[in-house]
Amino acid sequence: MGQFDKAVELLKNNLANSIVELKVPRSRKAYVFLKPEKHRDAISLLLKQVEDTIISTITGTDLGNEIELNYHMICGGTVTLKIRVPKIKPVTKSICDLISGANLYEREVYDLLGVTFEGHPNMERLLLPESWPKGNYPLRRDWKAPENQEDIFVSEEAPKPKSVSGASESLVNVIVGPQHPVLHEPERFSFTLDGERVVDVDARLGYVHRGIEKAAETMMYFQDVYLVERICGICNAAHTTVFCQAVEDIANVETPPRAQYYRTIIHELNRIHSHLLLLGVAGHLLGFESLFQHVWRDREPVMDIVERITGNRLMSGFNTIGGVRRDIAPSTIEKTLKTLKDVRKRADFYKKVFEEDATLRMRTEGVGVLSRKDALKLCVVGPVLRASGVASDVRKDDPYAAYGEIPFNVISYNECDTWARLMVRADEVLESINIVEYALDNLPEGKIRVRVQRKIPEGEAVSRVEAPRGELIHYVKSDGSAYPYRVKVRAPTLANLMAFPDAIKGGFVADIPSVMGSLDPCFSCTDRMAFIQLNSDQKWHWSLDEVNNQKKQEGAYLVGT
Amino acid sequence: MKWARRNSPWLLHFNTGACNGCDIEVVSLLTPRYDVERFGAKLEPSPRHADVLIVTGPVTRQCAPRLKMIYEQMPSPKFVVAVGACSCSGGIFQDCYNISGHLDQIIPVDVYVPGCPPKPEAILQGIAKLLEKLKG
Ligand code: SF4
Repeated sequence: MGQFDKAVELLKNNLANSIVELKVPRSRKAYVFLKPEKHRDAISLLLKQVEDTIISTITGTDLGNEIELNYHMICGGTVTLKIRVPKIKPVTKSICDLISGANLYEREVYDLLGVTFEGHPNMERLLLPESWPKGNYPLRRDWKAPENQEDIFVSEEAPKPKSVSGASESLVNVIVGPQHPVLHEPERFSFTLDGERVVDVDARLGYVHRGIEKAAETMMYFQDVYLVERICGICNAAHTTVFCQAVEDIANVETPPRAQYYRTIIHELNRIHSHLLLLGVAGHLLGFESLFQHVWRDREPVMDIVERITGNRLMSGFNTIGGVRRDIAPSTIEKTLKTLKDVRKRADFYKKVFEEDATLRMRTEGVGVLSRKDALKLCVVGPVLRASGVASDVRKDDPYAAYGEIPFNVISYNECDTWARLMVRADEVLESINIVEYALDNLPEGKIRVRVQRKIPEGEAVSRVEAPRGELIHYVKSDGSAYPYRVKVRAPTLANLMAFPDAIKGGFVADIPSVMGSLDPCFSCTDRMAFIQLNSDQKWHWSLDEVNNQKKQEGAYLVGT
Repeated sequence: MKWARRNSPWLLHFNTGACNGCDIEVVSLLTPRYDVERFGAKLEPSPRHADVLIVTGPVTRQCAPRLKMIYEQMPSPKFVVAVGACSCSGGIFQDCYNISGHLDQIIPVDVYVPGCPPKPEAILQGIAKLLEKLKG
């Protein structure tokens, strides 16, 4: 009996009195509607009895008079536990003490829907600006943006350094972000340092919070495909695949096999370029500039293939509900296979570099360790989880698209450190090349899409894929119209971010960039820091590069060895 | 001064809520195939040293004050390049609740590079256009 069936049996047998309804509409997907406040019982039961159970996210849906909370638990499949709280007094008990990975998800629901979780260690804003007026919850159905937009647009106060218990004279608070010119997105981190050591980290998210979930409700399903594609420019195919799957699940359509293979191909090409990108960035963060340039040069041919197949380098616009939008010409297939041969040679070489280069290993081995136990407790996903010795991969555990038919290996390392996280990616590039080659050699004949009605029947679905950065989950609820009732997105970075404090605490300042980079956040580390001396309130700015240079001069660059 | 600016503009990149698509393409500019450095341009981390601000993404409420701060910190004369549909017009996100408007409602813009995301070649052309403007 698989994990999933075991979980469902357990719930049926032990909590029969608390369950209002239990549905298993598809294999590895269960929806369990519980009586109020019974979610804690169900979750602790799953955590205790089913190995490696994690929480994926919490979705809040406004149903009019009630707010429904969906706890998406992963145990061999998705078990969605539902409870409802009244909208006039939306309070429920926190589950953070059972599973610490739920921390940010509860804060997100609190921020956007106004549900308070009793017993949460830090019930504060996560995404919206500090100046956002109280009592405005944008994801409630009846919320409308105020007429006078300027009302809510007050400039944000400067961040106050959080004092740390037992603060000694030597503790320094460092704020990084949100502007950092070299890479990726703006976020702010506040580090508390004791000399060279990092004592604590606090993250402030939301600089790129655009309100996509709300926007999705105002657009039709077919338009939403283009919207979700723009959640992330790097792993756009993962977002469209997972969204289309969820909608197809509700509408009960089967995508033709040829389309499934095409989705797999484009998804894997995404992964190849995303992993190469990260390996290059890692080189940059470790001060190995030529590695960065080389890897990015070799990433270009992959972009060329994507452009040739889909018409664009990044935003592919390839997937649609019911299948894909274009066929791949035989000449393109030939070209792709040829290019991949070259890419494989280079990827082999880079793997060797990461394996053998003494400096790289010194900078990354034993740095930013995240133990297997912590990784599971914090519910991290993707390469970060696999580098901590858990061979979990949605493509294998819960196959979608054509992954059920394509042979491939799940890469995992037991070292749990920054090096392992980079190696997982180096290996996965090669694995992905195998997958694309296999898929192109074994393309089934047939149609590439089926027509789907604009109106999607009533229902709900959870769908998961393995994006380059880890498990990506979408939850879609339909009320029978052409517009979705609720779309919930949990991108892998939010899950992995929780691992950052654990991985860096006790580490050195010089390792912050590489540890951060190895988690491959969608917003990479930051280049400008404000240093605040706690006792004198003095402030000054340094760029991260400057910090690195300081370290170099002090001869302390190769710390951690 | 003018000669130096024309031949060696220092670029500062700020993401105001982009989806990463545009950012990656901006970073691609640094790499061997596009090599923006042949124009003497250099990506520079500090606003204090930069001549040109490259902005990607629609401007989120949380980023808007920061954006102004960064723009004010740059020494004059300064130039702004809007990269991508989002920063040119708000793009697909223009009606979202956490967006405080598109770029030119907040700071003056010199060059617009449309596209979602624009190809690195297009961004290069945008920068080249700006340099031409500086010559004139
Ligand atoms: S223009 Fe397109 S690629 Fe650029 S940030 Fe906006 S959505 Fe992303």
